[in-house]
Amino acid sequence: MGRDSNDRASGLDAQLVRRIRRNQWTGAIVNLAPSAFWLGVFFLAPLAVMFFFSFGERGAFGEVLLAVENLGLQQYRRFFIPEDTSILVALWATVAWLIETAVPGIETLSATQPTPYVRLLFKSIGYGVLATVVSFAVGYPMAYYIGHIAPERYQNLLIVLVILPFWASFLVRIYAIQLLLSANSVLMSALAVLPFVEQGASLMYSQFAVLLGLVYIWIPFMILPVYSSIEEIDFTLQEAAMDLGADRFEAFYHVIFPQSKPGVMAGSVLVFIPSAGAYVIPELLGGTDSQMIGNFIASQFGSAGNWPLGAAGAFVLMGVMLLSIAAYQRGGGELG
Amino acid sequence: MMGAFRRARAALFERGAGLLVAQTAFVYLFLYLPIAVLITLSFNDSRYAVVWQGFTTKWYTALLQGETVARVDPTAAWNALLNSVEIAVAMVVISTVFGTMLAFALDRYDFPGKRLFTGVVFMPIIIPSIVMGISLLLFFNIVGIQLGTGTAIIGHVAFGISFVAVVVAARLQTFDQTMEEAAMDLGANELETLRFVTLPMIKPGIFAGALLAFAMSFDDYVVTFFIIGQENTLPIFFFGMVRQGISPGVNVVAALIIVVTMALVAVAQWFQGPTW
Repeated sequence: MGRDSNDRASGLDAQLVRRIRRNQWTGAIVNLAPSAFWLGVFFLAPLAVMFFFSFGERGAFGEVLLAVENLGLQQYRRFFIPEDTSILVALWATVAWLIETAVPGIETLSATQPTPYVRLLFKSIGYGVLATVVSFAVGYPMAYYIGHIAPERYQNLLIVLVILPFWASFLVRIYAIQLLLSANSVLMSALAVLPFVEQGASLMYSQFAVLLGLVYIWIPFMILPVYSSIEEIDFTLQEAAMDLGADRFEAFYHVIFPQSKPGVMAGSVLVFIPSAGAYVIPELLGGTDSQMIGNFIASQFGSAGNWPLGAAGAFVLMGVMLLSIAAYQRGGGELG
Repeated sequence: MMGAFRRARAALFERGAGLLVAQTAFVYLFLYLPIAVLITLSFNDSRYAVVWQGFTTKWYTALLQGETVARVDPTAAWNALLNSVEIAVAMVVISTVFGTMLAFALDRYDFPGKRLFTGVVFMPIIIPSIVMGISLLLFFNIVGIQLGTGTAIIGHVAFGISFVAVVVAARLQTFDQTMEEAAMDLGANELETLRFVTLPMIKPGIFAGALLAFAMSFDDYVVTFFIIGQENTLPIFFFGMVRQGISPGVNVVAALIIVVTMALVAVAQWFQGPTW
């Protein structure tokens, strides 16, 4: 550099340009800068603002108080801990409530109920788990058929038919479900021949409608990853297992299924996360008993008008999602 | 007892193929029956749109002539569609360029904090749209940016970049870098190599990413609803209509949306091979 400083300016420029071009960091910085800027300013900064809001307090007129003396964990406390109880009581109340809901025989384990927010959170997780389990139960055999049994030349067509609805409008498909579940629709009239279905009954605005909507929208996300792991399995292993004395079930259960597990895990995360965080589906298909945490967050920023509580709810929901991703990665799954 | 169970289980699996065909057919029925019913009902000659009363195209004719059918105003729908297309096109252009560059950076370079940064890139795909929409709304309010189609584009790019980057990065992983070295050895500079070797080879990936980004933008209701202010997009318009209940007008708009989008995607997939 010292010797070059006597050269003509243009020579120096050319050398500088060459040095910049040769520098290992230049490519990385040029390629990263626009996205890093955009994600930083229009994604992370807004999340940071919302996170900050979640420590605030609601004023008497629904305004958000963010002065130092208002900041604290009160919204999270309000979310998780019923008034006038301690963390331990709240924790026990939550566990007890979960047991009471899961096991039919047990009824009053704890005198305190968990907060409505906690119940809503677990209800949303429940929807997510149910949607995942149903998608798996319905989608796995189909993925197995497409990936292994269907004639090779139809595989692409069959898989395109699974993807196609996913590309079509989400709202329109929810509306289509609404058309099927409403009173006097084709489906409901057909069901009315059953003895226990009343004439003019409707399945709309129910927990069933929400679950059906979730499975309908997200099941392709289960089928696709399972299909791609089944397609890669070497099925001579199944024959080997059967030659060694396994029956068909054992060969499937001990040899084939474990190899398709990466797909099942990826599919489960892909179905669980959007299902637990759903907003539009319960909004359009659900009734008052089938709202989810997403609707709670939206209502806190709308009619209920408690922004800090809504922000806290949003970060609790994202915590749940991070946990499910962490569980997925711990199980050996990879992002992307 | 155990033996009988095992035999039954094995027998079930012996006949597995037949059951699987039935099961698969059932899922396709589940996926397509609602859409078929929707399209059929858009030709239903009844004000109360659910019960079949006979075939008619009168709702289509009325809407195409600009008449309002059961509160559905075709002019408003058309304007909403134009907004949606404008936002989606702008979003796709920006996110495809930035997202592709990002995919290159993630594929070719190691830098401190890369794992964390990759996590951030995945986040817009993963986090619930409701959280993304509301946080952007708070942000625009605080910074003092007027809400409108401009803010909608900004918000859409924030998730579009991630979708493009993930799809293109997957493509780059299978990319053979010796091709680039060969081009350089033969005297091409970096730009020529990029233009004539790298881009043509990853073009399908970029196309798939752009298509996905377009679909995500065109279809988005939640994020857009919070950050577009008084403007309308097709999903926002449609949501408002659905909220007011089932009607022949909504059926026609819904049928048109689904037929046109599925046809476009089917054509794209035909040219491109299965894309997801």
